[in-house]
Amino acid sequence: MFDEKTKNQEQKLKTGFDAQMKKRYGDRDFNLKTDGGIPINPVYSPGDIEDLDFAHIGFPGQYPYTRGIYPTMYQAQPWVMQQIHGHGTPEHCRERMDYLAKLGLTGYGEMRSYNLVFDQVCKFGYDPDNPEAGDMVGLVGVNMSNLDDYDRLLHGLDLAKTSVVLNQGIHSMIALAYYIVYGEQRGVPKEKLRGNTMNWLYKGWMSDLEMYPPNSAFMIMSNFIRWCSRNMPQWNTTNLVSYFAEEAGGTPVQEAGMAMAVGVALTKACIAAGCQPDEFLPRFGFQIALGMDIFEHVAKIRAMRRMWATINRERFGAKDSHSLQLRCHSQTSAVSLTAQQPFVNIIRSAYGALVGVLSGVNGMTINAYDEALGIPTDESLMLAIRTHQVALYETGVPNVTDPLAGSYYVEWLTEKIYREAWAYMEKIEELGGFQKCWETGWLREELANSAYQWRRRIDNGEKVVVGLNKLRSDVHRKTEIYKVDPEVKAICIRRIKEYRAKRGMEKERRQALDNLKTACEGVLDNHKADFMPALIECARSHSTVQEMCDVMKEVFGWGTVY
Amino acid sequence: MEKHKKQPRVKVLLSKSKMDVHDRGVRYLARRMLESGMEVVLSRHGLIDEVANIALQEDADVIGLSFSVGGHIAACERLQRLLKEKGIDDKLVIVGGIIPDDDVPTLNKLNIAGVFGAGSSADEAISFIKSSLSPN
Repeated sequence: MFDEKTKNQEQKLKTGFDAQMKKRYGDRDFNLKTDGGIPINPVYSPGDIEDLDFAHIGFPGQYPYTRGIYPTMYQAQPWVMQQIHGHGTPEHCRERMDYLAKLGLTGYGEMRSYNLVFDQVCKFGYDPDNPEAGDMVGLVGVNMSNLDDYDRLLHGLDLAKTSVVLNQGIHSMIALAYYIVYGEQRGVPKEKLRGNTMNWLYKGWMSDLEMYPPNSAFMIMSNFIRWCSRNMPQWNTTNLVSYFAEEAGGTPVQEAGMAMAVGVALTKACIAAGCQPDEFLPRFGFQIALGMDIFEHVAKIRAMRRMWATINRERFGAKDSHSLQLRCHSQTSAVSLTAQQPFVNIIRSAYGALVGVLSGVNGMTINAYDEALGIPTDESLMLAIRTHQVALYETGVPNVTDPLAGSYYVEWLTEKIYREAWAYMEKIEELGGFQKCWETGWLREELANSAYQWRRRIDNGEKVVVGLNKLRSDVHRKTEIYKVDPEVKAICIRRIKEYRAKRGMEKERRQALDNLKTACEGVLDNHKADFMPALIECARSHSTVQEMCDVMKEVFGWGTVY
Repeated sequence: MEKHKKQPRVKVLLSKSKMDVHDRGVRYLARRMLESGMEVVLSRHGLIDEVANIALQEDADVIGLSFSVGGHIAACERLQRLLKEKGIDDKLVIVGGIIPDDDVPTLNKLNIAGVFGAGSSADEAISFIKSSLSPN
């Protein structure tokens, strides 16, 4: 990376620096580590990165895209302000959408992007009147259990100019089926709908929630991707989320390694379903954590872009540049937020936003300061949006793409994380691959161990969290906590009962649900069928979320892995 | 290493809704409890009724419920009723997770012995159990 002259100069100057250090501190070991545990030095210089290959860094918009996926980044297109939100009835959620729009929420170009989270009840496939729903209806997401709810949520919006993230978790395919039928009703064909589905059924490995078993999960995901790739070219099918791995305790190296292992497993599953890599890879995206150790997380995102490009070109022979570009939605760290002195979280999330902008992410959710206490209030949400806007308009950071490139430390750390995460991904493959490591619980134990060590470091004071284990405040200011309208559950139950009573189309619905069962069986039989057309017919014939999910659960299996 | 102990080990049932993914805290607590010599059963429940059933089967001394997405008041209300029906309302019931301060008095009225909201340490919960169950 450097010529002889620089190397000689460095050697000479370093001798002087070392002598100074020795004089001041003797042999003191500062014992520095990144938050993820990578040992680091107090200072970096050309010698630390002399072995790097400039071809691995290059320019933004060039393979391997370490520095960003486009030649111009925020100069041409600011990141999408993708504030995740959702609660209550569709009307409550819509009120928030309009509020966000009023605050200046922006998306790609003229599009407005809404990152909508559904409640646990529809995520797990229950109607609101099912006893299993308990008191979770509309609590931390919007309840969307039938076709009518989509009009309550989206009436009056220009769907061709609206991008929606349908976060119905593992059941986001059902949200898409409804959205397609709703689009038809509004005169917008499915080919013109924009947005993305989670399709993250692999997520079961992170916890012991009820889920489709691993084998079925990969069949469902790849079948869904195949259908979308061939029928909805503008639709972003899959969110390769590694944010949750980090939130569950993963270090940046673990997060990057696991994310790539998931990507590889899913790509293989799609190829097995008969797809070509360039058919589906361009519509994959990531959701990456913006953790508290600023440089470590910037280095992680740079390393992940390089990994994704390298894997897809070298291993899968992808040629389309979109297949090689890691499109990155991101979210500031939630695990760093404290319930104590919650206003301090505004500062934490702003630093997280800085990580995002320095990394060149394409979309970002900035957590509101009160999210260790509940879902955001109007005020805390406004501050989160303003954090985006101050970063964009006032800090000057977005002017220059990948401004940390060339930093001895950041380049050294990027290379380090790249190598370690690559080795971690290979370790997963040596242990039988991602699906196997999900089934055996190896991945989950890895995260639990990291989470344990993290918390032990806090409990024994080795790691300082301001206001939690140090610098506590005696002043207890009351923080307003958002309360979801207590009538939500009753409203949703009343509506679903009325919906069932008045919906008609009995015969068509029975047929559609039967066809769904056959289609799902066909999916398991080596992808002889697609389940999406059947789901769309179910939505069209006024099936509820639970009616569709019950069929899928019956065919694909349902339960806990661990 | 437990041989010198005269008293039987404290048995704790920890449970969390199977619709609530945020298990980082409760899993940490479970491990710390094991390290402090307690016996721990970690479970996931659908209806809260399942917790009452497991508490009966396992004969747990302590029931710890973790909530990160709300619904704690209704769940605690029902659990206490069920424990009473089963004649096992002598269990020490504690709650942790994201619990707004305003809800603590209501939980106390529901005979929830300890509330360990955000920021509480595992050691606080463990000491609380030990002192609550101590014969003195």
